[in-house]
Amino acid sequence: MTGILKSLVRMSSFIGKELRELRRRPGVIATLVLGPLLVMVLFGVGYVGQRQPFSAEIVLPAGSNMPTDPGFYQEMTQDRMTVQAVGTDRDAALRRLGGEAVDLVVVAPADAEARLRAGEQSVIEVYWNQVDPLNDGLARLAMQIMVSELNQEIIRRAAAEGIQVAGGELGEPVDIDPNVVAEPTRGEEHNVAPSEPATIAFFGPAVFALVLQHLAVTLTALSLVRERLSGQMDRYRVSPLNSSELLVGKYVAYGLFCLVVSALVAGAMVTFLGVPNLGGWVALFGIVLLLTFASLGLGLLISLVADSERQAVQLSMLVLLASVFFSGFVLPVEDFIPAVRPVAYALPVTHGIATLQESMLRGEVRSLWAIGALAGLGVGLYVIALLRLRRIVHRVD
Amino acid sequence: MLWDVAMQPLPQSLARSTPSATPVPAAGDGPPVMEMEGVWRRYDDLVAVRDVSLTISEGTILGLIGPSGSGKTTIIRMLSGTLGPSEGWLKVLGQVPLRFTREARERIAYMPQLFSLYPDLTASENVNFVSALFGVPWWGRSKLIKRSLSVVDLWEARNRPARDLSGGMQRRLELACALVHNPRVLFVDEPTAGIDPMLRQSIWDELRRLRDEGATLMVTTQYVGEAVYADRVALLDRGELIALETPDALRRSAFGGELLQIETLRAVDPEVLRDVAGVRGVRQPGPRTLIAVTDDAGTASPRIMDALRAQGIEVSEIAEYQASYDDMFTALVQRRRDERKEDGEVDDGDDGGAAPGDPGSTDAETRAS
Repeated sequence: MTGILKSLVRMSSFIGKELRELRRRPGVIATLVLGPLLVMVLFGVGYVGQRQPFSAEIVLPAGSNMPTDPGFYQEMTQDRMTVQAVGTDRDAALRRLGGEAVDLVVVAPADAEARLRAGEQSVIEVYWNQVDPLNDGLARLAMQIMVSELNQEIIRRAAAEGIQVAGGELGEPVDIDPNVVAEPTRGEEHNVAPSEPATIAFFGPAVFALVLQHLAVTLTALSLVRERLSGQMDRYRVSPLNSSELLVGKYVAYGLFCLVVSALVAGAMVTFLGVPNLGGWVALFGIVLLLTFASLGLGLLISLVADSERQAVQLSMLVLLASVFFSGFVLPVEDFIPAVRPVAYALPVTHGIATLQESMLRGEVRSLWAIGALAGLGVGLYVIALLRLRRIVHRVD
Repeated sequence: MLWDVAMQPLPQSLARSTPSATPVPAAGDGPPVMEMEGVWRRYDDLVAVRDVSLTISEGTILGLIGPSGSGKTTIIRMLSGTLGPSEGWLKVLGQVPLRFTREARERIAYMPQLFSLYPDLTASENVNFVSALFGVPWWGRSKLIKRSLSVVDLWEARNRPARDLSGGMQRRLELACALVHNPRVLFVDEPTAGIDPMLRQSIWDELRRLRDEGATLMVTTQYVGEAVYADRVALLDRGELIALETPDALRRSAFGGELLQIETLRAVDPEVLRDVAGVRGVRQPGPRTLIAVTDDAGTASPRIMDALRAQGIEVSEIAEYQASYDDMFTALVQRRRDERKEDGEVDDGDDGGAAPGDPGSTDAETRAS
């Protein structure tokens, strides 16, 4: 029998062994296959993609003749707020804000009309009680929208009044729409993206990439560390098996499993969640293949540097944590300072998210460098894992 | 000290750590398969193997016997190429173990001391996996798997996951995995540990069958009585090779001669035999029982009887005494330890120390068995 055939036999031994071991652990299969599917479905069903409007309370000056109907003010908020109540007790409203019974308190100026006629600016005080920086920004935006709407309404009314006065003095009607005076320009939307922006469609490929990387890393991180600790490595040392055969055998075994799970998750994503796949299945398969290759390398490297199963699990979780923060899954990679971005680019999932979103949502991968980075990471991690494995296998002192 | 005769200097026929200048004792008569010359293995300050030299010929079972931490596993690991020596050289199949060719590795098998197979795989799948590791092709595998599992009496249990097998069955499964690719050199570390006596016998039968087919085996055991199954016995203590002999020669050498057990009708003073020609020493395990160490049991028997009768003591029975291997082992080890004390060597404990590569070590990268 030729050396190549024997080499194939040795590599195939791992494919059979690893797949059999996975099959013998139904709990693991359930976690690894159904888990990602469940995450995907829950994400699709549960994520609405819109933040709930702030609950607001309007405080009017005492004795004001302003409307007390919440619906009147609701129109000015563009649904950024839900006006719950209109009252006159400022302190009581602020107490409710402090107790987080309401999100916003809007205090109307006492003498707005007189100040306007006197040519002075009135101040609308808006209070909120937020520690979340995102909510803080959204509250500020809600305030600006409301004030802008109010200003437009004042201009509109003033314009209508002015047009009427001007028409009376000139003796002929002035044909100007007060709305045009209040809003001389308006924008018209034209999104030329090949797919409709949708929360599920946008985040679906990102969740898919993250699930796939985590699956591959988790599967492999424990694989070699267990064999090193059990003494199995000595059997490998005595046998004719070499490090490349061992590593390739593991890659192929776990790679096959990851691809099957990926096919199920991708199918569910496109079929049931309606995520577009404009780039087609071949492109999707290519990206998944590269992402799997790089992620398996990361997991195997963890397996080769960890000195216990516990440490391997900890390192896997650390990779997951870093992936959530730095991969562009939650925050754009460009939002990080350049010195920190290499952390993002060192993670396979970063390039997986970028390329999957482009392929599935735009129909083409424009960031070809990301494909190169994914392939480079895969090859680099393979080489590092191989060198580390050789060092372990040949360590005899 | 068990035997007064054990205080005698070691006979020349017994090997100590053989100095490199002296001829290396050979186990067996065929061409050499395993050779060690002046091999030392140190782990920092701990000496696991000290100056061991031996040669093992083809078609031989060498029993490596010694207490826990005596260096048995370290020697096996060095010869199987999973550990390097600190000093000296080794060869197996004419090759340096750390640089075995693939062809050489295909002819070698290693059975580790601890169960290291895959608990989720069945017995058959485990053997299948190991056979593939050694390059056995798919088409010839099922026959070999059946043969190796049958040999260790596990064919009926072939579909049971390894985790559901008893400790003894797991040891036999390890052995089946070591046998499946029909190796010519086997390193078998504690194959009978934790196994009932009946099964131990059958495992040794299988090892001897392999030997009869021309295989060369190095087998470690803590059961001193199993020395009888080996062709040659290497006795280790604290990393030192104390003796390398056939089991019978070892027994004889251990006590400095042949033993006679004498039963008398009344209590007897052992001093009466002190001056009898051919008697080298006497021990008295009971008031009417004497055990004499003789140069030759046949010629010493009538002289002993005469000497006792001259004192008015009737002998009810006199017969050759077969000392147990445990006694033999104890005598040899104790004698060597006493010699060390006389030589002023530091006594570093009763059982030496477990080397990092020995069982109990937690080093993920060097743990072997």
